[in-house]
Amino acid sequence: MVNEGPTEKKHVKALVIGAGPAGLCGAIATAESIGDGKQILVVDEGIVPGGQLPKQTHKFFGHEGFYASVRGFEIGEKLVSKATDLGVQFSMQTTVAGIYEDSIVTYDRNNNSVDEYTADYLLIATGASERFLVFRNNTLPGVYGAGAVQTLMNQYKVMPGESFLIVGAGNIGLIVAYQLLQAGANVKAIVEASSKIGGYMVHANKIMRLGVPIMLNHTIVSALGEERVQGAIVARVDEHFKPIPGTEKEFVVDTICLAVGLQPSVELVAQTGAEIKYISELGGYVPIRDENMKTTADNVYIAGDLSGIEEASTAMIEGYIAGYNIAQKITGQDLSEKISTMKDELIEFRKGPFASKVREGLKKMNILFPSGGYRERTQQSTGPNGKLRAVIECPQAIPCNPCETSCPTGAINVGKNINSIPYVDYDKCIGCGVCVMKCPGLAIFLLQEKEDYSIVGIPYEFLPIPENGTIVKLFDKDGRYVADGQIDKVSVNRKDKTHLVFLRVPKGMENIVRHFDLAINSEEYVCRCEEVSRQDVEKVIDSGITDYEEIRRILRIGMGPCGGKTCRNVVLQIIAEKTKIPISESKLGAFRPPVIPLPIDAIVKSRKGVDKDE
Amino acid sequence: MSDVNGTYDVCIIGGGITGTALAYSLCKLGETSVAVFEKSYLSSGSTGRCGGGIRQQWSTKNNVRLAMRSVKLFENFEEDVGMDIEYYQGGYLMLSYDEEEAEQFEKNVEIQREEGLDVEILTPKQVSERYPYINTQDLIVATFCQTDGHANPHKAVIGYAQAAKRMGADIYTHTEVLGVDVENGKVVGIQTTRGYFKCNVVVNASGPWSRQVAELAGVELPTESYRHQIFVTEPLENFFPMMAISFAGNFYMRQAHHGQFIMGQGDKDEKPGINYNVTFKFEKELAEKMVGIFPFLKNLRIMRHWSGMYNMSPDAQPIIGQSDKVKGYFYAVGYSGHGFMVAPAVSEALSELIVFGKTLHTDVSYLNVDRFSNEDVEKEKNVV
Repeated sequence: MVNEGPTEKKHVKALVIGAGPAGLCGAIATAESIGDGKQILVVDEGIVPGGQLPKQTHKFFGHEGFYASVRGFEIGEKLVSKATDLGVQFSMQTTVAGIYEDSIVTYDRNNNSVDEYTADYLLIATGASERFLVFRNNTLPGVYGAGAVQTLMNQYKVMPGESFLIVGAGNIGLIVAYQLLQAGANVKAIVEASSKIGGYMVHANKIMRLGVPIMLNHTIVSALGEERVQGAIVARVDEHFKPIPGTEKEFVVDTICLAVGLQPSVELVAQTGAEIKYISELGGYVPIRDENMKTTADNVYIAGDLSGIEEASTAMIEGYIAGYNIAQKITGQDLSEKISTMKDELIEFRKGPFASKVREGLKKMNILFPSGGYRERTQQSTGPNGKLRAVIECPQAIPCNPCETSCPTGAINVGKNINSIPYVDYDKCIGCGVCVMKCPGLAIFLLQEKEDYSIVGIPYEFLPIPENGTIVKLFDKDGRYVADGQIDKVSVNRKDKTHLVFLRVPKGMENIVRHFDLAINSEEYVCRCEEVSRQDVEKVIDSGITDYEEIRRILRIGMGPCGGKTCRNVVLQIIAEKTKIPISESKLGAFRPPVIPLPIDAIVKSRKGVDKDE
Repeated sequence: MSDVNGTYDVCIIGGGITGTALAYSLCKLGETSVAVFEKSYLSSGSTGRCGGGIRQQWSTKNNVRLAMRSVKLFENFEEDVGMDIEYYQGGYLMLSYDEEEAEQFEKNVEIQREEGLDVEILTPKQVSERYPYINTQDLIVATFCQTDGHANPHKAVIGYAQAAKRMGADIYTHTEVLGVDVENGKVVGIQTTRGYFKCNVVVNASGPWSRQVAELAGVELPTESYRHQIFVTEPLENFFPMMAISFAGNFYMRQAHHGQFIMGQGDKDEKPGINYNVTFKFEKELAEKMVGIFPFLKNLRIMRHWSGMYNMSPDAQPIIGQSDKVKGYFYAVGYSGHGFMVAPAVSEALSELIVFGKTLHTDVSYLNVDRFSNEDVEKEKNVV
């Protein structure tokens, strides 16, 4: 790329787009290998780096090498300080507006200025955007995406509402529900259109025992309200996910939180000319890439959710793989050992049942990951009566082992395959409760049968911390009231804030009690920017126009400020539903720059500024 | 040839404004054995990427006549074709910043007035009185024609295509023409990605690909495609009715129906060839220039930026007619950046040529490719 015009283009060896776990790890890997972080620039839209991490208040799964049992926002801080120590440069509140033929253009929101870059290598880690859901009155104020709820609540400390209906029982829906409950909100229900909970059971158990129903085979059909959300109607769905008339139920809520999945943010990578393909198992359109995270475009690498919707640990590992590969190209040194260590990590993380979609998706790019080799049966024994001991209620094989690594007596075994379900050796367990406080799924409890009552120790992440001796209501794992009980004692965990509360429960209820309560306390829019409804889209399709680009030009879908990030897939889905042609076979539309509206005065300023210097 | 997929009198290559308007015009003349073959989606080539301007202020008598006929057809579009295409006769304001060009403008206006076109000549003072939001610094003279205007090109294509379909034409999208079958100097069929179709007439309406599509039949056309870029801003309330254009200033801009400002400029350094990438250099240069002339733009944001192809002929005027080498091979190509605005009249003329062997409404014989065998090519001056 040749310098043209008065604007000075800045050059970096590696430009990382996105400061989430994948981008940060990519920058760290490259910086530590080339020994000069200043050659690496990380550009991100957020106020602080970390991507989704700063808004995650829960502990992450995985193993210690990738910060298991550490809360998301703290992982973000650790990665950022690591990168900063290596000299990596950050440009925050800055969006890559487009990857043009002649330069990579960034827009700095804070200074309202535009810069141009060239880079030898690109690591695109733009992550994902939330899928959108089409239902009546979905433009009413009070309808939020889960990400927005998390940003408001956990980053800006603003509660978007008081009573919530959550749509979607994947990990994000379950986590947001839990975080809302921690913040004091009332979560009325989670509705989930499919017949099973998509997220981890341990996350689901956390909220079910707090009394939040998860309504499977249900979806939202309408928001209610005049000026803002005052309620919601949900209905049971049939096997084609169509609401069944007569099954409607009404909820009085002021906020509806949509957590219906993520789709990779491919806008920028598409502008590099990298090949994009629709692979539903990976979340929609994804860049084609190889095992080293290289796309089909020269010198363009990807990592994280952009390469397929997954989770933070694998995003970090992919970041490292991409980062080491870039470093290898920059310096010519052989980093194959480090790369293959990271590839082995990925193999471990992807062996379990929750990775089956990712495995299937990657298979379509001829990237194969093995599965199996882990223990799937849960431990039957809950240990000897009378002894204070841990019981683990972790029913699914998920890649996670902090219980094993934190146990001071070596009593818990996960084993070499990190996906295995943990077992407790009751000869070795001393009932210390360290694992209870470490488990990211809050899935470990302590039990002890006494003469007149039993003790149940439960992990507790709410405020206020109860006083010893307080009488409380006891609830079972589904949040049903079962008996009254008493706080026996509380181990306060000042460091990472998962406290251990010991309850006195009636004898025989030690395997039942899992929570206590102290307080005893219209139109369906497809494209919201341009206000295009589902009916508008269907009408155009019915008139015989079935090409996304044709529909887009007629209805202006995706021509608003979001540039189609929200509505593109919804429209593609409607086309697929109506034409019976799968999305994967329909034509991929254009991804035009800029991907955010770019102020003209910022562009003009970028030229004037240079003129003045001359 | 064993598996013939269908037989048509006329096969049109290209689902842009020319192809679909021609299918419509043929059907209206009763020739409904027509098919349009589009390798991508309708209007995916130059039409769907163009600025959407429709003007009659040209520098030659013939071009003024052709454009005036086209405007007649645009005026009746909604009633005739059955679709609202956001057609708006807000006028064309042509701004001159060059002494020599200013003189030419006055000569052009004489020609235009002779053809019955109502054109005004405005001084810079008149321009700033009428359009206080335009900075008239360095402006020498402007001309204005109220009946010029603009429309939504994509909707026009869809309108034509649907009307043609209703009358019996077939439209094949995502269908590429791979070969044109010529026997004894006469077109007999086309090979496509959907099989072979027999036909008597093939029309090359393939815009950017006109030369390559001509080669399929062994026909030579002196066209070359050049990238032109456009960007569009976020919308404002509609207050800017006209297309503002300058040849010497090298820009055009209009406010579309939805309120967004669409603008573009040419690049003398652009090399021929099909290239749909966009450059940031374009955004910078145009943004700076336009803010100078239209200061209100500095408060707007750019929403999208794309590129399209000008299929250029040697004299910047369309090439329309029938090959004298291959019988049944017609072409309407080389529009040089103003195909959308003249396509209704061109397609009407071409349909008459195909059905009756002669034109009834507008003479397009001056646009035949033969003119380039003449050394003295008179170039159309009014082109950005």
